[in-house]
Amino acid sequence: MTAVDSFRIETEPYYRPVGDEVAVFEAAYQHRLPVMLKGPTGCGKTRFLEYMAWRLRRPLVTVAAHEDMTAADMIGRFLLVPGEMAWHDGPLTLAVRGGAICYVDEIVEARQDTIVIIHPLTDARRMLPLEKKNELVAAHPDFQLTISYNPGYQSAVKDLKESTRQRFVAIDFGYPAPPVEAEIVACESGIDPGRAATLVEFAQRSRNLRGQGLEEGASTRMLIHAGRLMLAGLSPAAAAQAAIVLPLTDDAELREALAAAIAACLG
Amino acid sequence: MRPAGPPPPPGTELLAALADRPALLEPARQASDALAGQPGAERWAAAVLALLHANAGAACLTALLRLRDEAAALEAVAEHVTDIVRQAGAAAAVAAIEAWARLREPALWPQLRRLAHEAPDCVALLAANAGAVLRSRGPDGLGDFVSLGLKAAGRDKSKRARFFALDDPLARQALAQSGSDFAMLERRLKLFATALWGRPPLLRPRPAVPGQPPPRRAGVTDGVILLPDSFPGVPRAAQPTLFHAAVAHALAHLMAGAPRQLVGTLKPLQLALIGLVEDARVEALAMRRFPGLRRLWARHHVAQPEGSTAPALLARLARALFDPGYDDAHGFVAKGAALFAAADLENPAESRRIGGLLGNDLGQMRIQFNARIFVIEPPYRDDNLGLWDFGAQPDASPAVLDLMIETARLRQEETKDAPKSDSAAEETTVRARPVAASQEGVPLARYPEWDRAQGVERPDWTCVRAVPAASGDVRRLEAALEAAPELRRRIDRLVRAARPGRPQRLRHQPEGMDLDIDAVLDAEIARAAGETPDERVYRGTALRTRDLATVVLLDVSESTRRDGALETERLAVALLADAMIRLDDPFALLAFASDGREQVRLTRIKDFAEPFARTQRARLAGMAPGLSTRLGAALRHAGAELAAVRSFRRLVLVLTDGEPSDIDVADPLDLVEDSRRAVLGLRSRGIDTFAVLPGCRGTDAAARMFGRAGYAALRRLDDLPARLSELYFRLSHR
Repeated sequence: MTAVDSFRIETEPYYRPVGDEVAVFEAAYQHRLPVMLKGPTGCGKTRFLEYMAWRLRRPLVTVAAHEDMTAADMIGRFLLVPGEMAWHDGPLTLAVRGGAICYVDEIVEARQDTIVIIHPLTDARRMLPLEKKNELVAAHPDFQLTISYNPGYQSAVKDLKESTRQRFVAIDFGYPAPPVEAEIVACESGIDPGRAATLVEFAQRSRNLRGQGLEEGASTRMLIHAGRLMLAGLSPAAAAQAAIVLPLTDDAELREALAAAIAACLG
Repeated sequence: MRPAGPPPPPGTELLAALADRPALLEPARQASDALAGQPGAERWAAAVLALLHANAGAACLTALLRLRDEAAALEAVAEHVTDIVRQAGAAAAVAAIEAWARLREPALWPQLRRLAHEAPDCVALLAANAGAVLRSRGPDGLGDFVSLGLKAAGRDKSKRARFFALDDPLARQALAQSGSDFAMLERRLKLFATALWGRPPLLRPRPAVPGQPPPRRAGVTDGVILLPDSFPGVPRAAQPTLFHAAVAHALAHLMAGAPRQLVGTLKPLQLALIGLVEDARVEALAMRRFPGLRRLWARHHVAQPEGSTAPALLARLARALFDPGYDDAHGFVAKGAALFAAADLENPAESRRIGGLLGNDLGQMRIQFNARIFVIEPPYRDDNLGLWDFGAQPDASPAVLDLMIETARLRQEETKDAPKSDSAAEETTVRARPVAASQEGVPLARYPEWDRAQGVERPDWTCVRAVPAASGDVRRLEAALEAAPELRRRIDRLVRAARPGRPQRLRHQPEGMDLDIDAVLDAEIARAAGETPDERVYRGTALRTRDLATVVLLDVSESTRRDGALETERLAVALLADAMIRLDDPFALLAFASDGREQVRLTRIKDFAEPFARTQRARLAGMAPGLSTRLGAALRHAGAELAAVRSFRRLVLVLTDGEPSDIDVADPLDLVEDSRRAVLGLRSRGIDTFAVLPGCRGTDAAARMFGRAGYAALRRLDDLPARLSELYFRLSHR
């Protein structure tokens, strides 16, 4: 049992394919091409990758990128242990050595100088230089890198560099078509398909307001939360208010308008 | 012991004084008798006597003496009137007394007295129109209305008189606006409709037709939804739901999307019936999609199965077609409901067929229908004019045609503006409303202004317009730059010091990417010696970055002509701009001057995205002094431009003489206070403001506007070129 084995996904995660994304990812993995998952928040990017890792029987090492993340947080660092200084592999190095799929979530959140460390891994070299340790880690044959990013809310300041962007095969995720989304909501939250379809109607209303004051419409994840609240006994209006309207915006007028539109969907 | 009897009437002194004026004596005696025995009656008499001594004149005194109320109230009135007589004369006082007698509104007096002091010629005008103002704005709104008039007129007396005579468009707007629920709800309605139908609707206030009562119903024409300012006869609290219902109904029409039909020879009753069936049809279609709309509309269907006039029958039919649970045995209504139930709702022609059949029935019943006074019920439904093509019909009423032309025009404007209104810029500059173009400079936005007298912000008070820059002689500017080598060297040194260099190495950090070997050794030694080691053993690097965006706001008003101030400012700004370019600090260069609140003229010398090259230098060289300084509006606009720039720190650097003024503002303190509000507003949005005042005047006002640490007054104008850049570098280090 190696270190990465604890990252294996044992049971099949629920994933409802909406297009050819499974085929594309499998083809990319066959040649270990790095993949970029694009799409708005809560549309199923992370779940898709969990499913693919399970399907391909690879461990999945996830790194959530953030502004303060340094290269050392990804590749590892020397730490003081009693009597000596010992090297500790970071999550990326762990995945590279162990042949896992490394998933860097919301990569644009990381600083540019952190992002470039993945470059040697994403071209023909497939290696990770650990300059602190003076070591060149050749990637395990099964290693693959996947990143996700949400083109919606990154700004000019936070955008992927061309030199990074062009290394990836991209899969675009949107919100699934209403019937499919309803199926997902029903399956994930446990409510009946009729009420799930109503929730998708709600989401449609909020997605119409995208760019009119809302950065992003309600995500599938939000609908699942609303569905679970309904399962726990809340009325559709109350569940929508708690799980959709209130989290989406602090703008009182927008809330009122959205609540009124949601009420119009309810018979 | 005194004999019991009625108390003596008050005011023996007053009556004695009036003894030789028989015309006044009798009313005075009656008033005195009416007040006999009341506490305070003597004080009333004294107050009237004071008025008499103030030379009030017979008409004024008679009017006052005819008033009947409690002694204390009448005494207060007499005091108010005395003040008004002294300030504005007897005629104004008579008008005031008459207004009081009519309205009995205590809120009147403070405002009438205020006008008597500030605008004596307008007392009578306000007194005459007080009823209208009170009806529209209520007692609390009266003071606001007066402040608005005084502020809007500034020094212009005739404009002031027009305002209080309600001849000024602004006065009429102020009276109409206060009742405008639409203005208050507009954004909510727009968002509501967008959420439902996926695209923003075109909502517009319904223009009033001159000489006719205000519109009572919505209108839908060619994709534009016209809404009244408010629905008359509906309580304030019920207006929002009614507006939502009206917008939902109008959108139901637009979504069903039936083309206009030729009116041809259809009679008004037929038009009304076909419209009614069409209303029911589009609503039924909309409710298939959004069942919750039924709740929104249902509360307005209140018709009962009674009454057989045409309006009653139409309302009953409307309810029957809408509400399947409504039971109405009237043959006409039942037939309509049956026809509608069997109809193919997807087919727009059905409305005409059913409406036509029902029209025949109603015609045979010989029920009178008066199209002139007919108002569509329930109130959320629009007037249905948008359903019809009146063609070149000569008998279509002019008002109807006017409305159509108006909407066609609105529609054109809207499509022109459409891509702009979607942009993110509108979202970020919340207070700025885009305005329509006119020939005097392109309007950029409207901004509020602070009304010092009333302590409120007047929305959309000023209009900032873009005025193209004239090109000037670059060579003169460059010669001036060449002539100051010492100055340029000083600024060079500043630039070099501020330029971001190599990353700095930070030692002894609590966390970091790398170990600080020296610190590790120290820690190990400490540990070996049995001491507590210092855990800060990492090193890191910090990049010194400059992240400051600036708008340099250059006052080019008439006052900069003095001592060639503008000439020196030009040089100073050119030097600063060169330094900023070399540091890669993003900045924009705007010049402003104003000519009244509708003309805050803004000239863009350099935009954020532009270089500071020959064109921009020529624009800077081309600035000429003139007009006034409406600083607040310029500051708000600078803030709006900065708000769109992504930067850690944002700065508005103002170069002004520190004396805001404008032709339509009587008291410069108003603009000082407004500028202060503007600066505070910018600060609350994370934008710093700093003012540089060449020449040492106006520092009191400057401290008030920018705060004590927010400005630098330069005693000598010649210091400006050197000091401006120094100040900037100091600010950018903070």
